[in-house]
Amino acid sequence: MKVYVINGPNINLLGTREPEIYGYETLDDISKKCIEIGKKKGIDVQFMQSNFEGELVGWIQDAIKNKIDAIVINAAAYTHTSIAIHDAFKSFSGYKIELHISNPHLRESFRHVTYVAPAADAVVAGLGTDGYSHVIDLLLDLPIKVN
Amino acid sequence: MKNKLLILNGPGLSDLSVYDEFYGQISLKLIEEKCLGVCNELDIEMDFRQTDDENELFSYLLKDSEGFDAVIINPVGYSHALTAEFARYRLAIKTMTLQKKPVTEVHIANIFKQGSDITKPLQVPEGEMGFVSGLGVYSYVLAINAIHKKLNKAT
Repeated sequence: MKVYVINGPNINLLGTREPEIYGYETLDDISKKCIEIGKKKGIDVQFMQSNFEGELVGWIQDAIKNKIDAIVINAAAYTHTSIAIHDAFKSFSGYKIELHISNPHLRESFRHVTYVAPAADAVVAGLGTDGYSHVIDLLLDLPIKVN
Repeated sequence: MKNKLLILNGPGLSDLSVYDEFYGQISLKLIEEKCLGVCNELDIEMDFRQTDDENELFSYLLKDSEGFDAVIINPVGYSHALTAEFARYRLAIKTMTLQKKPVTEVHIANIFKQGSDITKPLQVPEGEMGFVSGLGVYSYVLAINAIHKKLNKAT
């Protein structure tokens, strides 16, 4: 199984940006942990991060082209604004999980709208940076069609 | 001492046949068995309940939850309940989160998908709450794994 874990704007600041909300783990810590879990389970996990909306759209399109089996996306602030990500996500026919470190629905009202979730199969939020590894840990149990 | 986990299922969850199309044949019994298996593996004591009575659900949440280290709740459409009901509900969740007890909201289906009649998650004003929606029975499993990790980190 091949999985892209796509991360949006400011996720590169993890560990230093408002750690009381996002925790002290860096994106590098998280990706190492997930890749490690993936190795044990035979899942090819690829992490990516960009602050640019178009680059995130490009990676979703790459996932279609490269026949990736699942996408885990933390579109961060673009979650609440990006119809382009919504459209790209819809075109990807593999398994789709929207992930957030905090729970956007417990925060400012401008974070309550999500354009990503209606195009996703599942949403995981509010479990801290551990949310990523919990998701990777369960992937083989989910009804994911492997290309 | 074993961690104690309360899993609450709200009104309507006694019949899960509406989910068959996406999640295969699932039943509350099957979810309970799956949760019990995971809890046994992680050495967690589980209490799994379902009620169609909103008052009873509220009482479980506000009173009974005192004896537990963590709560998982599938509120179904409770987030669309009347304002007065919802305020009581938020109070109960807030009480737990302020005690630093992990609370996670779970849903079998993705509640944001078009056509779903539950359109918004619970909103509590303070504290933190996990949210897992759309993984079928594995929404519960992921929530249990996350709670286990969190409780073991804290001690």
